[in-house]
Amino acid sequence: MRISRRAFLHAAGALSAVAMTGCGRVRQFVGVPRPPGLTGPFAVAAAPSVDPITHVLRRLTFGPRPGDHARVAGMGIEAYVEEQLHPEAIDDRECDSLVRRNETLAAPLGELFEYKEDLLLRELTRATLQCAIFSKRQLHEVMVEFWTDHFNIAQSKGDSAWLKTADDRDVIRAHALGHFADMLRASALSPAMLWYLDGRVNRSSNPEEKPNENYARELLELHTLGVHGGYTQRDVMEVARCLTGWTVRSEEMFFKGRVEFRKEWHDDGEKLMLGETIPAGLGEHDIDHVIRIVSAHPATARHIAWKLCRHFIADDPPQPAVDAVASAFAVSKGDIRTTLRTLFATPEFRYSVDAKFKRPARFVVSAMRATAADCDPGDAVYQYLLRMGHTPFQYPTPDGYPEESHHWMGTMLWRWHFVLALANGHIAGTTIDWGRLSDSAGGGRLLIAHLAGREPTELESESCELSGAGPAFMLASPAFQRY
Amino acid sequence: MPQRVFVHGNGDIKKTLVVIFLRGGADGLNMVVPIGDDAYYRARPLVGISATSTVPLNSMFALNPRLVPLAPLFHAGDLAIVQCAGSEDQTRSHFEAQDAMEHGGTSAGGWLGRYLRYRPNGPGGPLASVAIGSAAPESLCGAPATVVMKSFEDFALGERAPAALSALERLYAPESGALGDVARSTLAALGRIAQLDERSYTPSSGAKYPEGRLGDGLCHIAQLVKADAGLEAACLDVDGWDTHFAAGTLMDPLMDELGQGLAAFRTDLGSAMKNTTVVVMTEFGRRVYENASLGTDHGRASVMLAIGGGVRGGKVYCDWQGLQPDTLEAPGDLPVQNNYRNVLAPVLAWHSGIAEYSRVFPDYRISPLDLCS
Repeated sequence: MRISRRAFLHAAGALSAVAMTGCGRVRQFVGVPRPPGLTGPFAVAAAPSVDPITHVLRRLTFGPRPGDHARVAGMGIEAYVEEQLHPEAIDDRECDSLVRRNETLAAPLGELFEYKEDLLLRELTRATLQCAIFSKRQLHEVMVEFWTDHFNIAQSKGDSAWLKTADDRDVIRAHALGHFADMLRASALSPAMLWYLDGRVNRSSNPEEKPNENYARELLELHTLGVHGGYTQRDVMEVARCLTGWTVRSEEMFFKGRVEFRKEWHDDGEKLMLGETIPAGLGEHDIDHVIRIVSAHPATARHIAWKLCRHFIADDPPQPAVDAVASAFAVSKGDIRTTLRTLFATPEFRYSVDAKFKRPARFVVSAMRATAADCDPGDAVYQYLLRMGHTPFQYPTPDGYPEESHHWMGTMLWRWHFVLALANGHIAGTTIDWGRLSDSAGGGRLLIAHLAGREPTELESESCELSGAGPAFMLASPAFQRY
Repeated sequence: MPQRVFVHGNGDIKKTLVVIFLRGGADGLNMVVPIGDDAYYRARPLVGISATSTVPLNSMFALNPRLVPLAPLFHAGDLAIVQCAGSEDQTRSHFEAQDAMEHGGTSAGGWLGRYLRYRPNGPGGPLASVAIGSAAPESLCGAPATVVMKSFEDFALGERAPAALSALERLYAPESGALGDVARSTLAALGRIAQLDERSYTPSSGAKYPEGRLGDGLCHIAQLVKADAGLEAACLDVDGWDTHFAAGTLMDPLMDELGQGLAAFRTDLGSAMKNTTVVVMTEFGRRVYENASLGTDHGRASVMLAIGGGVRGGKVYCDWQGLQPDTLEAPGDLPVQNNYRNVLAPVLAWHSGIAEYSRVFPDYRISPLDLCS
């Protein structure tokens, strides 16, 4: 039988179409992981003002989901805080299976270079948002965001494009609720950080070669002591000398991306740093002393405590809380769980309802959580974060995205834009069953209360009606911008 | 025809100040090169800019070849260059130095924010200050209202916009404080900007903006200025000037964009440039000597530029002291001779007639450069 070329191509096309359908079927059969959705009717917190459970949920998570309030009411706030402080004991299979589909996240260091950099950023961003929206380990995710800003690395600098994926996994996520000194050391020797702050070219093979101070300065100023932490220009230079020789294998060598110590680039003389002498000849162990000295420095405890309180309590955190948290950090030798437990127990934390203004990413994620959205946080969500200037891993300078509200107030236009798009189903990859959500809450008025975190005011209810967008409009209100 | 009501804080004269901040610490010595000083070439055997390639301005200074589009502006008297400019901040930290400079000292708020709030004739309209980009810079902190914008596109709120807008107006009406102010100004701005369309925009006199964020930003600002939209201050950030490593490779494209962008802006605005001043600044300059990775580390003084309305141009403002070791500031930096406030003050005075600088630049004794007519 003679088959014309045209017919053959036709047949091949049909075959591949069948194959694709088959593939799709197999997938469906095995089960493409679906994000956790609405499970049924849920009790709404509709007290006249925000109650303590809602307050704790808003701060320890990226915003309450339907059903969260009843769950915490059942177990008690203290038990909930303890649960969240131990993410390793939380069963998070649903979210894990969603996130696992971003295959680049699990790639070993060396294999990261086999992927295109934009794929790495896309998957890392999507996974970060998926975890923020769907993970049950919410406090862990909140702390991941906190440390990502604290040890900020812009993915756009050099090989950080590939290496930030490893930094996120091996530095930030591995230590988010661990020990500060461990995280600091991991960060100091993270290949992405060595790229981002030029540590990899910090060398002093001879007395004429001046060390590159970039990382040393940010280590003291941003990561540990803080700018008013009492260090001098001399300390910066001495830290830089201690860290000379640590570099990342580059393009033309095997084991690209691997961190190594080049003895011949190291200034092995004696150093005097923050009042302590580091004797000559310690080579690659200089860094142990640097990490030890800066982690244990009292200014570091104050600086980290201040930043944590600013994040969890208020932009201008009350001093008694900062002092208590600094003391917990110091006494526990930088144990992050202990430090946070102390913070959540302060009266300043308890009485800070509505004191914080949501940054854009939190605003978007909290809206997805509150509405139990079926959401693949891909390009459509990304575009909103881009307009509001808050896309993960893209803040160019090492101080990380700013925390204080005034930086973010100019984003109102895009928040409203997002809410109306969400209400009208115009965000690709995101679906919200508004009818079912309203029924599960017990009606439109209770759904508005759920989104407000309390009984809505008359003005809020009226505005929702007037807007034509229904209860969804509550997400555009002043109340939903605060937490 | 919709009624257009423009609210101008600065009375009948519609003046606009554009502030371009080069983030990362731009290398002023490689932008406005002291070709007449041998010490420059001794300190920078590899990253120095060879005199033969530069565009001479006078016997001491020449423009980096990448900034050649600025030469006609200089010679026409539109561009003033302030060499050895910077702040008193000695931390050599980007954030401290940027903060110090943008805050204009240690007081609350930013210098531009305080200017807009405290200058004569009261705060301006909802489009008085615009930050091009994704976040408001510190300098605008404390401003009565700031609109952050990336483009005019998609400002509209979708099909049910009128109902949503009136609901938003009601919902935010009782809101006091910063959020209420911002919400109200955003709603007002929405109406104003709805009339602009960038796709149909053709720059005047054949001006061609370079591709990239700076060119796009300047083009947006030009449209807002020409639309008479009440724009009084526009801020534009340009990242990437932190050249610890491979300085030339990093800086060349940035300087191309800066030179071409400023020249296009001036051409596009035409006579409107008489009422528009552009100031270019950076947090600090770079160390005089180069480092081992073909870059330069954080230093002290850099360069500032002022272009357009009110500017006495065609001059490099600087009493050059040379780059000998004994004239440098330890550990080898160009000392600051012209505090940035003394450059900004005459520009602000020209814009709004302020004679009293203490609320804009507290805790500092201003001695303004003779920069503006």
